Amino acid sequence: MNIRFPKSLQILALSLVAIGILALALSGVFTSLSRLVVSPLISIQTWVSQQYRGVENIVSSSQDIQEIRQQNTELEAENARMQAQIVELQQQLVEYKILSALLEFARANPEHKYIGASVIGRDPSPFLHYIIINRGSDDGLKRGMPVVTQNGLAGRVVQVTATGARVSLITDPVTRINVRIEPSRSAAVLTGSITTDITLEQIPQEADVNPGNLILTSGLGGNYPANIIIGQITSVRSLENDLFQSASVQSVTDFDDLNIVLVIINFNPVDISPLLPNADTP
Amino acid sequence: MSVILSIPILSFITILQSAVVSRLPLNRGTADLMLVVIVAITLQKSVKTNWQWSIVGGLLTDFFSGLPFGLFTGSYLIITGIASLLRERIWRFSFLMQLLVVLSGTIITHGITMLVFILQGGSLQFAAVLQTITLPSIILNFMLSLPVFILIQDIIQQLNPLE
Repeated sequence: MNIRFPKSLQILALSLVAIGILALALSGVFTSLSRLVVSPLISIQTWVSQQYRGVENIVSSSQDIQEIRQQNTELEAENARMQAQIVELQQQLVEYKILSALLEFARANPEHKYIGASVIGRDPSPFLHYIIINRGSDDGLKRGMPVVTQNGLAGRVVQVTATGARVSLITDPVTRINVRIEPSRSAAVLTGSITTDITLEQIPQEADVNPGNLILTSGLGGNYPANIIIGQITSVRSLENDLFQSASVQSVTDFDDLNIVLVIINFNPVDISPLLPNADTP
Repeated sequence: MSVILSIPILSFITILQSAVVSRLPLNRGTADLMLVVIVAITLQKSVKTNWQWSIVGGLLTDFFSGLPFGLFTGSYLIITGIASLLRERIWRFSFLMQLLVVLSGTIITHGITMLVFILQGGSLQFAAVLQTITLPSIILNFMLSLPVFILIQDIIQQLNPLE
């Protein structure tokens, strides 16, 4: 026998059951029951989730390693570029210091006109003290023009091509420069040597010359302009029977580290060779 | 080796000598890269144009140097003569021959240069020159000899694989 309840009664009954269950749940009656059911479910879910994460890590880490390697390569390249830039900047800084010192020298000696040149080579023979510079007749250089550094005299141009020139340093064995010793104002002749030692010769015996005295070009002979600093006397050799004293000189210019020089282009050396006594002249 | 090849190769050697090697002195002495290269080339049995290489190398160095023209050419020709003689007589221990010829070559080049200085009226202190220029130059030339000899030997073997 089927007993059919009206539909509204069914809804009411179900609602009452639902409210009852809700009330029991809220009151904590179902807590222990739900633990029994939910705990294994959570454990299963945790295990599944862990396995999924493991698989996910394997898949994603290969991509990460690739990315890291790529980044590493990029950073290494960047590092190399920065290192090269640092070296370049250090080189520029050195050049800047030299150039500013040269500019200072040019400002301190405004009576001359200068042209800057880079030292691009040295003589293949260790017996000659020549440098090769990257300026030539195209830049207005002529044979005999003096060459200076920020510290003082370096040498003079002895050979010129269109784009380069050979400069004989004052340490060269053939060097003969008329100089003045300060403060005594005595005249002397400066000579170079194969071993790069610079010597003062023909210093009058009566001249008061001491270590530390300054050596400047005198301008005599017309080969160099006057008053360019050359160096300092380091020791004096004076013998009673000798006609002249001699002295060793320490140059103000470091010839082993010549990179940039200034050529004095408004100085024309005077050729006095026709005025010198000749063996053929009666 | 072709003589035409000598012009660019030895020109590069000359530039390297002037721009780099001459700027690296030991005391006052400097290495003579051209001398070391010419000796290394001459000591290779398969090279038949050693005299031509020597002349080209000498002329190029003379062009760059302020010493009287022909000094290096003459010196290198004498050294090539010595090296050629040794090559014909002794065919083993090539590297020891290289050192021996480089030693005698440095002394010959420096000796001729000093002779020229004296003839031009210059004064020389032999002891000082020997101590500050010649001995350091010999040491530097010895130091260059091994890498240059190996390099030249390899290049020539590459160019003449059958020999």
